[in-house]
Amino acid sequence: MSTETTTTTTNETAADVDQRGLIDRLTASPFVSRLLSNRLALAGIAIIVAMVVIALYARLFLDLEVITQSQLGTNPNRAPPSLDYPFGTDGQARSLLPRVAYGAWYAMLFGTVTVAASTVLGVGLGIVAAYYSDVTDNVIMRTMDVLLAFPSLLLALALVAIFPDELGLWRAVAALTLVYTPRFARVVRGAALTVLENEYIDATVALGAADPRVLIRHVLPNCLAPITVQSTLNFGLAIIDLAALSFLGFGAEAGTPSWGLMLSNGVSQGLLTGVWWWSFFPGFFLALTVLGFNLLGDGMRDALDPRMREAVD
Amino acid sequence: MISTRFVLKRLLLLVPVLVGVASLVFSILHLSPGDPALTIAGERASEEFVRQIEESLGLNDPIWVQYGRFLVDAAQFQFGESFIIQRNTAVREVLANKLPVTLELAIYGQLIGISLGIPLGILSAVKQDSITDHLTRIGALAGISVPIFWSGPLLILLFAQVLGWLPTSGRISVLYNVEAIRVTGLVTVDTLLAGNWEMFVSAVRHMILPASVIGVYSMALISRMMRSSMLEVIRQDYMRTARAKGQGAKITVLKHGFRNAMIPVITVIGIQFGGLLGGAVLTETVFAIGGIGTLLVEAIKVGDYPIVQGTVLTFAFLFTLVNLGVDITYSILDPRIEQ
Repeated sequence: MSTETTTTTTNETAADVDQRGLIDRLTASPFVSRLLSNRLALAGIAIIVAMVVIALYARLFLDLEVITQSQLGTNPNRAPPSLDYPFGTDGQARSLLPRVAYGAWYAMLFGTVTVAASTVLGVGLGIVAAYYSDVTDNVIMRTMDVLLAFPSLLLALALVAIFPDELGLWRAVAALTLVYTPRFARVVRGAALTVLENEYIDATVALGAADPRVLIRHVLPNCLAPITVQSTLNFGLAIIDLAALSFLGFGAEAGTPSWGLMLSNGVSQGLLTGVWWWSFFPGFFLALTVLGFNLLGDGMRDALDPRMREAVD
Repeated sequence: MISTRFVLKRLLLLVPVLVGVASLVFSILHLSPGDPALTIAGERASEEFVRQIEESLGLNDPIWVQYGRFLVDAAQFQFGESFIIQRNTAVREVLANKLPVTLELAIYGQLIGISLGIPLGILSAVKQDSITDHLTRIGALAGISVPIFWSGPLLILLFAQVLGWLPTSGRISVLYNVEAIRVTGLVTVDTLLAGNWEMFVSAVRHMILPASVIGVYSMALISRMMRSSMLEVIRQDYMRTARAKGQGAKITVLKHGFRNAMIPVITVIGIQFGGLLGGAVLTETVFAIGGIGTLLVEAIKVGDYPIVQGTVLTFAFLFTLVNLGVDITYSILDPRIEQ
C-alpha cells in the first residue's frame, strides 16, 4: 500500500480559509469540484443517501418487536413476493421488506461505529508514531505489522471469540475495529511524515507550541484527505465483514434483522427448497450499499490524487 | 539478479513478526472465555477428572511458563491434539489433511482472477474512457462489492438447482473415494495421477463454481490495479521513445509497459492471496467444502483451542510467506528496490 500522499495546496493562507463559511470552502475546493464532476461518485452518493433515508425511516417508524417476533399463524409462511409482501416472507412468516429496511439501520449504525472507532484509534497511533519516531514509532508500527500479518476476516474470527456472546453484533464491531486500525495507522503515519517535513511545523514548534497542539491543530488537518478516503473505502468493507461474521454465526443474535443473519438463514433454510427471496433481498441491499461506498471512495481517491489509485485493500 | 543477502535479511525480519503473531494468538486464546479442561472432560465430569486434565495440559503452570512452552511448540509447528473435532489426533495431522483443500481452491480462484484481470486491466488502460473501459471499471467495482456469501448461493441456485449443469456442493461426487488415491491432497491433481478420468471430471465440475466466485473477486481487484498502473506507465518517456523509434503500439505496451506496470499488480495479487485464504472461510462454508476455513469456524464454535491456534498460525504464516514472495518478486522486476 502506498504511504505516499499529497495534500491539496492552495494559495490562500490558513486565516483566509478559516474566515469563510463551510459551504464556500467546500465548493472552492478542487477536490470537491472534481468529485462532483465524477458521475460514478455521484451515483455512489445517491445510493448512500437512499440507504441512510431507509435506515432512518426503519429506525423511527418500524416496530422492532413486530419485525423480530415470529409471525407464524398471522402471515403466510415462506410466501413468495406479492403485493402484500413485496419481498416475500421468511421461515417464521415475517415479512422481509421491513426486516431488510431495518437491516439498513443496523448496517449503517454498526458500520459507522466500526469505521469511526478504527479511524480514531488508527489516526491517533499513526500520528503519534510519525511525530515521536524512534522507539515509539517502532513499538507502534511493529505491533501494527503483527496485526497486518493475519488475513483480516480470520483475525476478526479469532478476536470475536474473546468477547461474550451476549454482546451480539457489538463483539463483531470490537473485533473488526482492531482489525482495521493498523490500516489507518499506516496511511496516517505516511501522510503525517510528509506533513511534518513542512517548515510551518518547525515554526510552530519553535514558537513553543505543545505537542498535542502541533499534532491536532497542524498535522491532523493536513492529513484529513487520505483519512477520509480510507474511511469511505473501509465503510464498504466493514459492512461486508460485519455481515460475513453474522453469516458465519459470530454476530447478530437469532431473530435480529441484520442482513448477514437473514442471508445466512435464507441460504441454509430456504435456498435449496426454492425460497430464493429469503436470501436474495438482504444480499441485494447489502451489495448495493457496499457498491455505493466503493463508488464514492473510488471517486474520492481519483479526485484527491491520481497517484493514490493504488490499492487500498 | 537477486542477492541471497536480500532474501536472508527479509527472512530474518520475519522472525519478530512471527513471534508477535504467535504471542497474539496465545493471548487471544487465554483471554477467551471457556475452560479447555472442562471442554475436554465434558460438563458432567467429576472435579477430580477435570483437575487431572488441567494438570496434563499444563494449565496450572504460571502463565509465562505456558507462554514459553507455546512459543517453543509453535516454532516446531506442534499444537498438541485436537480436543473435540478429531479427538486425540495431532493438530498437525488434521491441518495437513485440510490445508491442500483450501490451497487448491485459492490457487484455482487466483488463476481465474489473474488470467482475466490482467488482460482486462490492460485493455481498459489502453482504451481509456471508451465503453470497454467504463464497463470494465464498473464491473470491477461491482465485483468487489458483491459479497461471496451472496453471489455463491445465487450461482448454486442458478447453475445447480435450476439449470442442473453443475453440482451444488462438495469437492467431488460422493460416489468416489478420494482418500484412497490421496497423494498431494489436491483433488484435481490426485485424480489425474490415479489416471481416473471420470473422477477428474467430477472434481473439476465441483471446482468451477467456488473457484469462479473467488476468481471474480480477485479479477476485480487485479484489473483495477492493472489499469491504473498501466495508465501511469503509458505516459512515461521511454514508452514514447520506443514508439518514436518505430516500434508498434502493441509490442510497446506488452514489452515495455507490461513489466513496469506489473510491480503494483503483484502487490495486489499477494495481498489478494491473503484475502483468498481469509475468504476461504466463507467460500468453504457456502459450498460445503471441508478445508481449513470451515475447520476454523467449527473449532471456534466448539472451543477446540489447539485447532484454533494451529489454524490461525498456519494462515498467518502462509500470508507472511506470500508477502515475502511479493517482496522478492519486486526486486526481480525492479532491481532498484533492493537498495
